[in-house]
Amino acid sequence: MKMKKWLNTALAVTLAVGLSACGGGTGENEAATASADPAMKEDTTPVTIQYWHAHAEAQLEGLNRMIDEFSQKYPHITVEPVFQGAYPDLHKKLQAAVAAGDVPAVTNVEVASLPNFADSGVFADLTPYIERDGVDTADFSKGMLDAYSYNGKQYGFPLIVSTSVFVYNKTMLDELGVQPPQTWDEIDAFNEKVTVKNGDKTERYAFSIPGWDTWYYDPWIINGGGQILNDDLSASAVQTPESLRYIENFKRWMDEGSMHMGFGKGASDNMRQMFMGGEIAMVEHTSAMLKMYQENADFEVGVSFLPGDQKRTSNIGGAGIVMMEGTEGAEQEAAWKFIEFMTSADQNIEWAESVGYLPTRKSAIESDKGDAYFERWPQYKAVYEHFDEVTPRLQHPAYPEFSAVYKEVIGEMILNQQDPVPLMKDAESKINDILADYE
Amino acid sequence: MTVRSSEKTTEAVPGRASASTSNRTSYSTIEKWKDFAFALPALGFLGVFLFYPMIYSVYISFTNWNMTRPVKKFVGVDNYTRLISNADFYQSLKVTLIYTVMDVVLTLAIGLLLAMLLNVNSSRLFGLIRGVIFMPYYISMVIAAMVFTWIYNGQYGLLNRIITLFGMDPVEWLINPETVLPALVTVSIWKGVGFAMILFIAGIRSIPNEYYEAAAMDGASRFHTFRNITLPLLSPMTLFLVITTFISSMQVFQSIDVMTNGGPLKSTNAIVYWIYTMAFAEFKTGRASALVMILFVIIMLLTLLQWFVGRKKVHYEG
Repeated sequence: MKMKKWLNTALAVTLAVGLSACGGGTGENEAATASADPAMKEDTTPVTIQYWHAHAEAQLEGLNRMIDEFSQKYPHITVEPVFQGAYPDLHKKLQAAVAAGDVPAVTNVEVASLPNFADSGVFADLTPYIERDGVDTADFSKGMLDAYSYNGKQYGFPLIVSTSVFVYNKTMLDELGVQPPQTWDEIDAFNEKVTVKNGDKTERYAFSIPGWDTWYYDPWIINGGGQILNDDLSASAVQTPESLRYIENFKRWMDEGSMHMGFGKGASDNMRQMFMGGEIAMVEHTSAMLKMYQENADFEVGVSFLPGDQKRTSNIGGAGIVMMEGTEGAEQEAAWKFIEFMTSADQNIEWAESVGYLPTRKSAIESDKGDAYFERWPQYKAVYEHFDEVTPRLQHPAYPEFSAVYKEVIGEMILNQQDPVPLMKDAESKINDILADYE
Repeated sequence: MTVRSSEKTTEAVPGRASASTSNRTSYSTIEKWKDFAFALPALGFLGVFLFYPMIYSVYISFTNWNMTRPVKKFVGVDNYTRLISNADFYQSLKVTLIYTVMDVVLTLAIGLLLAMLLNVNSSRLFGLIRGVIFMPYYISMVIAAMVFTWIYNGQYGLLNRIITLFGMDPVEWLINPETVLPALVTVSIWKGVGFAMILFIAGIRSIPNEYYEAAAMDGASRFHTFRNITLPLLSPMTLFLVITTFISSMQVFQSIDVMTNGGPLKSTNAIVYWIYTMAFAEFKTGRASALVMILFVIIMLLTLLQWFVGRKKVHYEG
């Protein structure tokens, strides 16, 4: 009996200690720094900051070069880069770090997850620093910059930006004498010329759209004149006639056997293999994969911007660089300097080329370096001709959850040959439930 | 506290007899304290890393916390009611139970069959075969799942290579909602069947030979010997394997994470994987904690059920 009592006390103590420790940790995050101290700018007391990132092996050389140059410019600041895995892993670790009250000064964040983190007050608003140092934000591509602002606050800058494009087998299309479609109206004629069928079986698809990630067809919803949520983001809009136009077309093209859609794990590999093997003439994929296609294809690779209809846009992908709330003033100052350096116009072209993502700065693109870059990578011109049509994704903290609902409809269409139109009507109530649940 | 109270007794009732009682009490109290002191490091560790998180997640399951929000708003049983009224919950439960039943039944059945076939003491070859069958048990699940992802691949996978040799059409094993769950179960069976086999062999070898001799004298057939001697006397081992396999397959996660991500179309969205996506992809820590509690209760009830049902059927020798 007495033993039990002691056990209880011991447990209660551990509980109390744990609770208070946790409470203290989260409490700190609430104290937000409202203004950027000008005196801090010239301070050269040595400071070390951590940069949590998701830069894979291929990007590390570029990253290390940037950090070297940064430490030459600011010898008092030491940046410790910490690779935290792909975006989902990085995000999990960020969550845990915030819960523990021990956060890095600077981190990457995947663009669609920014609203959720920003909503919880995890990221610092960069506006005071931008104003203090007079950063010319108009030099950034507007869409790319906007993707990292939320509720009127600029939480970060675009760092590794991609967008979905059509990558096509230029050798094949040249032989056939066809151009990639620029509008939806041109797609049927394109399909007719490119598709090769043997009875019911398609031997060569005209094009493929990935079904495994909503990022690839969100722009199709928008281009068809529809939207995912209504204007004030309070209810689903995926079931409206305008929003259904793209999927009706998808269904028709798939039934005709001219369009291929992959779904599920491994579908990305399959699509790549089929494209390389000439079974698909054109694939929608992220611009970050262009380097891979270029290096591995035994034909000439071309890039075309997504075809438009009511609108013509493609969404931003990749990650930004943001400052965490909850570190000391000196660390925040160093963090800001690092963010500014990593996204500066001077470094923009080299950085983009080393990691295989898109430049973000207008002045960089228009510079001599920019001209040389487009000479080496003529395919990217297709993207920059539509620089202002690369737009942010729909920003909503519950996006990861409700996007899964209409993604499932696409899956039903691809895997079970279901008619997507009635299923989208069912999706409406599910999405509205999720929105109602979200506070 | 206990020490002080025993001192009080000494003061209140003086005299030799009582003093010796008191000595005995304080001696045993010290002994108890000593026991407790020895247990303290382990208890402290368990307290911090097991009991505290357990109790804390009960608390979180009643809040809308998302891990990053500074305030944990109390929402009562809202998380529980929303889960129970969600069709995905029943889908997830169904997937988990189908997976578990297939996994438990097949692992044990094949394990027992292999045990019967390979329980040959004198042969080195059979020892080698047993070793090979047991091998997958100590391969990490993540590695096994990656290997099987390649085997199941629709375009260049080994399995499709083999079946096309026999004139069958290739199958997208991990993308077709019909084949994906059996494909996952296969990995688990492949990994677990060696362990079941070894335990069954140990069980069979512990059955005294006299029973078999007596049965042989009575002219019992091999089937009858198996049915009436081997099977009943293996029942403690069987119960052990049922419960351990049941618990681990109810918590299937790694293979799903590597091979299917819960898809396609939620056809492999088992409960633990769903908990994980809810907490770390949808940032609903509170809701996910509530689901953890529900899973805990389900596993506990089903385990107790197995135990009670099993107790009547299990024959402990001697």
